[in-house]
Amino acid sequence: MAGRSLSETIAFIQKLDQARNPEEVCELLLNITRRFGVERILAGLIPAPGADRRTQLSHVVMNAWPEEWARRYFSHGYLFRDPTIEQVQLATTSFLWSELEPKYRSDSAARRIMAEAGEFRLKEGYTIPLVTLEGEIAGFSLAGERLEIAPEEKPMLSLVATYALGRALPLRQSPRRAVTSLSPRERQALQWAAEGLSDGDISAKMGISEHGVDKHMRSARSKLGVTSRTHAVAEALRQSLIV
Amino acid sequence: MIHIVTPQNIHLYQDEMEQAYRLRHRIFVDEMKWTDLAKPDGREIDQFDNEHAVHMLCVADGKVLGYQRMLPSTRPHLLSDILPQLCEDERPVGAHIWEWTRYCVDPAHRERGRALSPVANALLSGIVEWGLESGINTIIIEMNPLWLLRLVQLHFRTIPLGLPQSVGGQDVVAVTASFDRRTLLRLQEMRGDSRRVLIQPQQTRPMRLAG
Repeated sequence: MAGRSLSETIAFIQKLDQARNPEEVCELLLNITRRFGVERILAGLIPAPGADRRTQLSHVVMNAWPEEWARRYFSHGYLFRDPTIEQVQLATTSFLWSELEPKYRSDSAARRIMAEAGEFRLKEGYTIPLVTLEGEIAGFSLAGERLEIAPEEKPMLSLVATYALGRALPLRQSPRRAVTSLSPRERQALQWAAEGLSDGDISAKMGISEHGVDKHMRSARSKLGVTSRTHAVAEALRQSLIV
Repeated sequence: MIHIVTPQNIHLYQDEMEQAYRLRHRIFVDEMKWTDLAKPDGREIDQFDNEHAVHMLCVADGKVLGYQRMLPSTRPHLLSDILPQLCEDERPVGAHIWEWTRYCVDPAHRERGRALSPVANALLSGIVEWGLESGINTIIIEMNPLWLLRLVQLHFRTIPLGLPQSVGGQDVVAVTASFDRRTLLRLQEMRGDSRRVLIQPQQTRPMRLAG
């Protein structure tokens, strides 16, 4: 007979199929981890060092963190001073935040971040490092005022976190998709570019100067967050902005 | 390309199988330190390399770059005989369930920083192509739990058979992973190529079942 933890894990995996967005995945995960004292969850991919605030936010996959703390954390650039984020990139096994304390004791910035987190009831935490198919490192943190996780229960937490992230990743809104809104002229220019026309041809089709075409293309590239013409066409197709 | 080696065609693959056993030794004994598999002749062969095993070899220019072995769940295999403690519940058995073991890729053909090198992708695609054509839709895997997320992302439907445990100092979890056409499409999309990876020489018995 399967033990309780395995049965619970399997039931959780089956319920995940019904989750329609990362928030529902979070809710299911809180239900199953509440008995360990977990009140808050944050999961995301670790951005490259020096990434700006917007990029950092776009890497968050599941967010059930205190709102005020998340705001402070990302606006103060705590991510790259956070000892748990540093550890996620070094470790392949899960860790309790308390286990890190000796490592960051002499780092005052790290100490301050952990102390401030405590003010938001994130006093104790458990972080699980994961690696995606694309080779990106993900960090999965479960936290609360007081966690009670017995050593034999840790494997179950790693399993449920893995499945939760696997479900939430494809469900999250692509932040880029949400903000891209091309003007009619930009869309038109891209549409012609997708059909293989040069800027000269496009200017003739649209009845505007080549300089004007260049302006629309540049603006479209910037909105799509890409740097080349080909990439802009590909991205616009992917987002169904052109056909 | 992936070659499937069975008792029917193994005589055509003497050199490649020799390379495969040496690759297994290099990776599982020398690199991963599974020292109880060590063999004085540097060829890692065990009791499951018998007439029921299906070997899959990734070969380029005569060189074996990757390897994996499929064992029928209806015969003795690792989960039944070596690692039964990883399965807390009833052990999955059936003609449509095979166990995936000894997966390995030559170190020079693993891509750093990316989880799935072309050789790794070809090996996985090989399992799915072979399975879809032979009426097999589920594999049993004993692996590091870190691999689980990647399998989920590849549209393998995985269910743990037990909680992760430490085996020889490494975390291992046993799962069943079921796949279908979506899994194959995802693998094809990742490598940007929808051509078949399996090579089936004429000497191989056709594996297609009904239909």
